[in-house]
Amino acid sequence: MSKRRPLPDPDRRKFLKGVTLAGAAAAVTPPVAAAAQGAAPRAQLKAVAPGPIQAALETSSPEKDPQTQTTSGGDFMVDVLKTLDIDYLAMNCASSFRGLHEAVINYGKNVRPEILTCNHEEIAVAMGHGYAKMEGKPLAMICHGVVGLQHATMAMYNAWCDRVPVYCIGGNILEANKRGNSTAEWVHSAVDIAASVRDYTKWDDQPASLQHFAESAVRAYKIATTPPMGPVLLSLDAELQENPISDGEKLHIPKLSKVVPPQADSGAIAEVAKLLVNAEAPLIVVDRMARTPAGMARLVELAEVLQCAVMDRFGRTNFPSRHPLNQTFRRNVVVAQADVILAIEMNDHWAALNAFHDRIVRTSQPLYKPGTMIISLGLRDMYLKANYQDFGRFSDIDMSVAGDGEASLPALTEAVKKLVDAGRKSAYEARGKRYAAARLAMLEQAKSDATVGWDAAPITTGRMCAEVYAQIKDEDWSLVGNTIGNTWPMRLWNIDKAHRWNGGSGGAGVGYNAPASLGAALANKRHGRLTVTFNGDGDLLFVPTTLWTAAHHRIPILYIVQNNRAYHQEYMYLQTMANRHGRGIENAHIGTTITDPNVDYATVARGFGVYGEGPITDPKDLAPALKRAIAVVKRGEPALIDVVTDPR
Amino acid sequence: MRKTSSLFSAALFAVALCAGGQGVARAQDAPPGDAAEGKRLYLATGCFTCHGRAGQGGALNGPAPILARTAMPFDGFMGQLRQPINEMPAYSEIVMSDKQIADIYAFLQTLPGPLPTKDMAIFKE
Repeated sequence: MSKRRPLPDPDRRKFLKGVTLAGAAAAVTPPVAAAAQGAAPRAQLKAVAPGPIQAALETSSPEKDPQTQTTSGGDFMVDVLKTLDIDYLAMNCASSFRGLHEAVINYGKNVRPEILTCNHEEIAVAMGHGYAKMEGKPLAMICHGVVGLQHATMAMYNAWCDRVPVYCIGGNILEANKRGNSTAEWVHSAVDIAASVRDYTKWDDQPASLQHFAESAVRAYKIATTPPMGPVLLSLDAELQENPISDGEKLHIPKLSKVVPPQADSGAIAEVAKLLVNAEAPLIVVDRMARTPAGMARLVELAEVLQCAVMDRFGRTNFPSRHPLNQTFRRNVVVAQADVILAIEMNDHWAALNAFHDRIVRTSQPLYKPGTMIISLGLRDMYLKANYQDFGRFSDIDMSVAGDGEASLPALTEAVKKLVDAGRKSAYEARGKRYAAARLAMLEQAKSDATVGWDAAPITTGRMCAEVYAQIKDEDWSLVGNTIGNTWPMRLWNIDKAHRWNGGSGGAGVGYNAPASLGAALANKRHGRLTVTFNGDGDLLFVPTTLWTAAHHRIPILYIVQNNRAYHQEYMYLQTMANRHGRGIENAHIGTTITDPNVDYATVARGFGVYGEGPITDPKDLAPALKRAIAVVKRGEPALIDVVTDPR
Repeated sequence: MRKTSSLFSAALFAVALCAGGQGVARAQDAPPGDAAEGKRLYLATGCFTCHGRAGQGGALNGPAPILARTAMPFDGFMGQLRQPINEMPAYSEIVMSDKQIADIYAFLQTLPGPLPTKDMAIFKE
């Protein structure tokens, strides 16, 4: 049975009849035609007027849907970035900055900045960290402002703790009505992306217009590079990047004027000079003093006038390792003997001068004798934040002098020179000779110590470092990364120039070394230096795709993986805990060792396009392997050697 | 008596550490020990993690000294294990007997010490 069709709506029948008749009435009917149709009576026309929506649709212009544009905010942003002396833009690509990304590669021709492709935002930031220390200026990093920034945070924290500028940018979509239907645009947007990193960045902003961007971008660079330096963050709205520019002729890019770091007060300098000159055993302790290659020479001049001991904490390359006055590895002796200590740009002042005992009851005691005059010179206290405790324990300091260490040294040296008379000079020479003899003895002792276990397998770190130095010492080498507790390069190698060493992570965040070393290698590339880094195996496992970036961008660097097959520091801590409980260390390998299977780092490297060799287990194989790898690096490519070593 | 002697010896050890050297006196009065068993214990109880498998030294948060052919007197060595200075974890009688300490001490004396560096090409500048 067929379905009954519903009866027509009588009102609709009348409506349609009216429309039909109205349509017919709208046509001009010539009299002849009308006459031809006959004299049928005409129905009364009842046209229904269109409603407001229909009227608007019929009378207004079609909605704009442009397909192309001739300008974009991103292009202007590139113009701004090009004024900031930024060579590179490290990134893992993301939709929230597609506007700026396209402008960089097309409008900006991918030159200054040139894009560095990274496979994790942590790598991008850490490359900036290492680059800035070696080259003396930051590179930029850009990421998704939410999920990308979350990846980047540990590396930003390291840079903050190390007081190093990294110019960070995060993409965002500010206007809610401009976020698309796709899930990504909503979960990748935030009201305040900088909230998660504000405790460890110097400054942040979220420009609302292109002119605002210009001013904030320049300001961000200036703040990042003003000592005490640190990372900064700009939140960049996607619409601002992508939309056409209106009133472009009114846009103005302000000038960047870099701040000249402040010197210490002249009165304070004079007082410090007097204290140093009158001291029997002055000691200079230094950590992050050398901002530029000039820093080392300035400290050498001061130390040589005083013939005083210098203790280097290696935050930067502050003092030549083989200088006769370098007493770094006689720390307990020289600190105990000192009557005046000048500490310059210290990261952790307290740890440098105190001994701490990690026991069930934690205790500490000063290494210096009572009555020692302790002077602090630096800018660290000029900018601190409270939440993260990277500022270290509060120290007993007799005189705090605010001023950039490197910038203040020439004035201090001149003040000291004016006070040194012939009598004092003679006394200084005597102590200088004692230090020089001690330094020579330390070098010979270090060589002797390095030979203990010389032919052992796993390979000792002493043997490894001695073999590496033998292969690089006649090159313009640069050691840009190191492993925990490995002091052999500082004890054995001749660190005599600013680029021989690049400092540590600052925040001890694992995953710093490989990418930061790569950033430093990128800086070294233009200077033709041979870049070498010792990389912990555990550290490399956090960021192995650093190797791909090295291959892709043809960055020459020699990675020497110190492969002790463990997160060994934590292994030792577990041993400590187990010993406290009398439980033995049979289980200390659980959660700490990287075995079963052993990672084959050479194969990992080759998989990323990097020359890889190893695992090297016989120390006799080190020299030939190093020669081969260095040949690769000198050709302009990265290389990796996996060396199976004893734990420390 | 032993504790006082151990603390004094530990202090000597500390001075030796500060001076960066191992001293010149060899241990004369160590009880006999089984070097092979000592090697097993040295690895099994974790001495090697800070001091190296060849006794070449290393680091925890501070330097862990060279133990190969240690010149430290046995009493001082035992004292350092029982009540260590600095950050070294303690080895109580629960985890290590006196005999085991003697075995480890004997093992350390069998390890090759430093090589003469004067004629080693690798150290020539």
